[in-house]
Amino acid sequence: MKVYLSLVMSLLVAVFLTVTTVHAQDNALKFKLKPGASGKLCLKCHVATQETVKKPFVHTPLKTGDCAGCHNPHTSSHGKLLAEETANICSLCHSSVIPKDARSAHKVVAEGGCMKCHDPHAATTKFNLVKGGNDLCFACHKAMGETVAKVKFKHSPVGKGCLTCHDPHASAKNGFLLKNDVPALCVGCHKTDKPIFVKAHMNYPVANSRCTSCHDPHGSDVAGILYNTVHKPIASKMCNQCHEESTSPSPLKVKRSGTDLCKGCHSTMVNQAFGKNRVHWPLLSKEGCLSCHGPHASKQKGLLKQDALTLCGSCHKDTITRQEKSMTKHEPISSGNCAACHDPHGSDGVYLFKKASVVDMCGTCHDWQKHSTHPLGEKVRDPRSRSLSVQCLSCHRSHGTEYKHFIPFATTTELCTQCHETFKR
Amino acid sequence: MRRFIARCIGTAAVLTIPLGALAAEGFKVKPLQAVIADEKGGELKFPEGVACDGKSLLVVADTGNGRLVRYTYQDESLKGGSEIKLPQLTYPLRVQVAPTGAIFALDGKQRRIVRLNADGTFAGYVDPKGVTGEQGVVPRSFRVDGAGSIWILDILGARVLQLNGEGNVQRQLEFPKNYGFISDLEVTSAGDVLLLDSNSALVFVARKGEGTFIPLSQSLRDYLVYPTYLMTDSRGMIYIVDQNGGALIALGADGSFVGRQLAMGTKSGLLNYPGQVCLTPAGTLFVADRNNSRLQLFTLGR
Repeated sequence: MKVYLSLVMSLLVAVFLTVTTVHAQDNALKFKLKPGASGKLCLKCHVATQETVKKPFVHTPLKTGDCAGCHNPHTSSHGKLLAEETANICSLCHSSVIPKDARSAHKVVAEGGCMKCHDPHAATTKFNLVKGGNDLCFACHKAMGETVAKVKFKHSPVGKGCLTCHDPHASAKNGFLLKNDVPALCVGCHKTDKPIFVKAHMNYPVANSRCTSCHDPHGSDVAGILYNTVHKPIASKMCNQCHEESTSPSPLKVKRSGTDLCKGCHSTMVNQAFGKNRVHWPLLSKEGCLSCHGPHASKQKGLLKQDALTLCGSCHKDTITRQEKSMTKHEPISSGNCAACHDPHGSDGVYLFKKASVVDMCGTCHDWQKHSTHPLGEKVRDPRSRSLSVQCLSCHRSHGTEYKHFIPFATTTELCTQCHETFKR
Repeated sequence: MRRFIARCIGTAAVLTIPLGALAAEGFKVKPLQAVIADEKGGELKFPEGVACDGKSLLVVADTGNGRLVRYTYQDESLKGGSEIKLPQLTYPLRVQVAPTGAIFALDGKQRRIVRLNADGTFAGYVDPKGVTGEQGVVPRSFRVDGAGSIWILDILGARVLQLNGEGNVQRQLEFPKNYGFISDLEVTSAGDVLLLDSNSALVFVARKGEGTFIPLSQSLRDYLVYPTYLMTDSRGMIYIVDQNGGALIALGADGSFVGRQLAMGTKSGLLNYPGQVCLTPAGTLFVADRNNSRLQLFTLGR
């Protein structure tokens, strides 16, 4: 078998070298190079490259002396006399790096930034990588690098290398560049029939469950690499608080559906929210609490599925986008603290505000008398519409505008003369 | 009455609409009047709903005051403004007038549909009977069609329920796959059911007699910021309220974009978080201009 494999490998290498040599010969003919000049002529001037080619891993065209495989020796419309745009040059040979209709693709690869990871000439690292191991990945994925370094409980494959689980270029069928889907990827190492595995999962048949709904594959500070925020029943290994008994015919089935299940423990919160005039509609939907919260464990406080900006922005995209584009940033929004002003469960007033009055709401952070002495309050009527009283939102839009200070006009004068028309010039 | 009229803002001569909103003008709206109070001068507060019967009755869901207010509209003039305040309806969000004159209102606090007699007295709740599945029903919106059927947008069951006049479920339509958040439904005069997905700015349709929703159009994200209400006219034109954009867009019956009108603001003719709208056969458009705490009247034409 070994002999057969080495024969196949030798044949493949021979074919590859033949193809590249033929390609090099084509270019030699194309540029009418003198006999024996190919691969030597360029290096006469490009002395530094003479040293480069001494590195252990050399890009095949360079190795075969085919500089013209990537560069045009005479003229080019692209930098470095490249025969094609930097973003496209690699794909002339490496066209299948991203499979057609790939489920996920590494952004840098999709954008043609191959040289961010690979040296196009030669490198000391296999595959011409500019750095070896996880250092290369963490050069961009800095936060991940820091997390992985400091977590108390590490996932050993991460230490071995990101490529244990991820494909660096693209994944035809899986998200997050994963080599296989979850749980298939996980059960490749974690044998689900082992007694220790079964015991750790309280005899529940989780072999086909999504492991990453509880476990952080990059490690965490919680034993069992559970996400840092763990739902109390999970932490106390009381899965049967929500799910049917592990011995039942349908052990993973939840005992009740929607908010009825959560209400069993969180009755105060549910009753308070449901007693308000306005309940956040997703809480009343089929998903109920799980519209925003994970039932098992999460990276986020409050078992939120994602950070607040991403989570709230999944529905209120316009609001988050407005803030991102705003010239002045409203601190609670830019820090993802939407709940500073809004009650995400329910409220008696519009916008799910935590306070009944807008002035009181803004006043929790902003001292109006220091900010402005403009008359405000129920007794001060808005001249633009007598149905309204003057309050903070009469002049400001709290999620931002394209102008400074959250005002919806380019200048303060333009804003003020909306009401004080006699001063309009 | 004099006080009421005095509190009404008169016809606005010029409508302030940003140029962007005029990019496409397949239809036009022109402001007529704004109403900010009832017949006794009691101001409206965050009204979210408005319904008309096609003749002269106009009912406003004065949400912030926890009441309905009934007006009559004749000869381009709004009269009356009598209050309907019931302990069974403390936070009306949306309102409908049935062909029989009965008034239906969705109560936000109880999340139930309340049925009132034509004189405004409480007649009962519309609690669907014969619903399948273990979960209950949470109506996000509803419609009463010309035949008296009540259509409920049930976000808990992720479905549309068609009830007869007695509240018995006649038909059930599941939400489309991969929906975002469905805010409203409409039943066209041809019997098609439309759904409005606020998150993806998509309109779905289930043709009459068919049980599946399919997209009627591409995403309307280029024309809408965050839509929450839709309505059709007798010709099948679809009107969508852009709550966060303070505007109204029109689509053809096939879902093609026709135009966008109105803009966000406080002055007369502008909208700030509009809620429900209704349209009379004569082309008068009523808008519950929630955050401006008023009802606005427009003429709508093509």
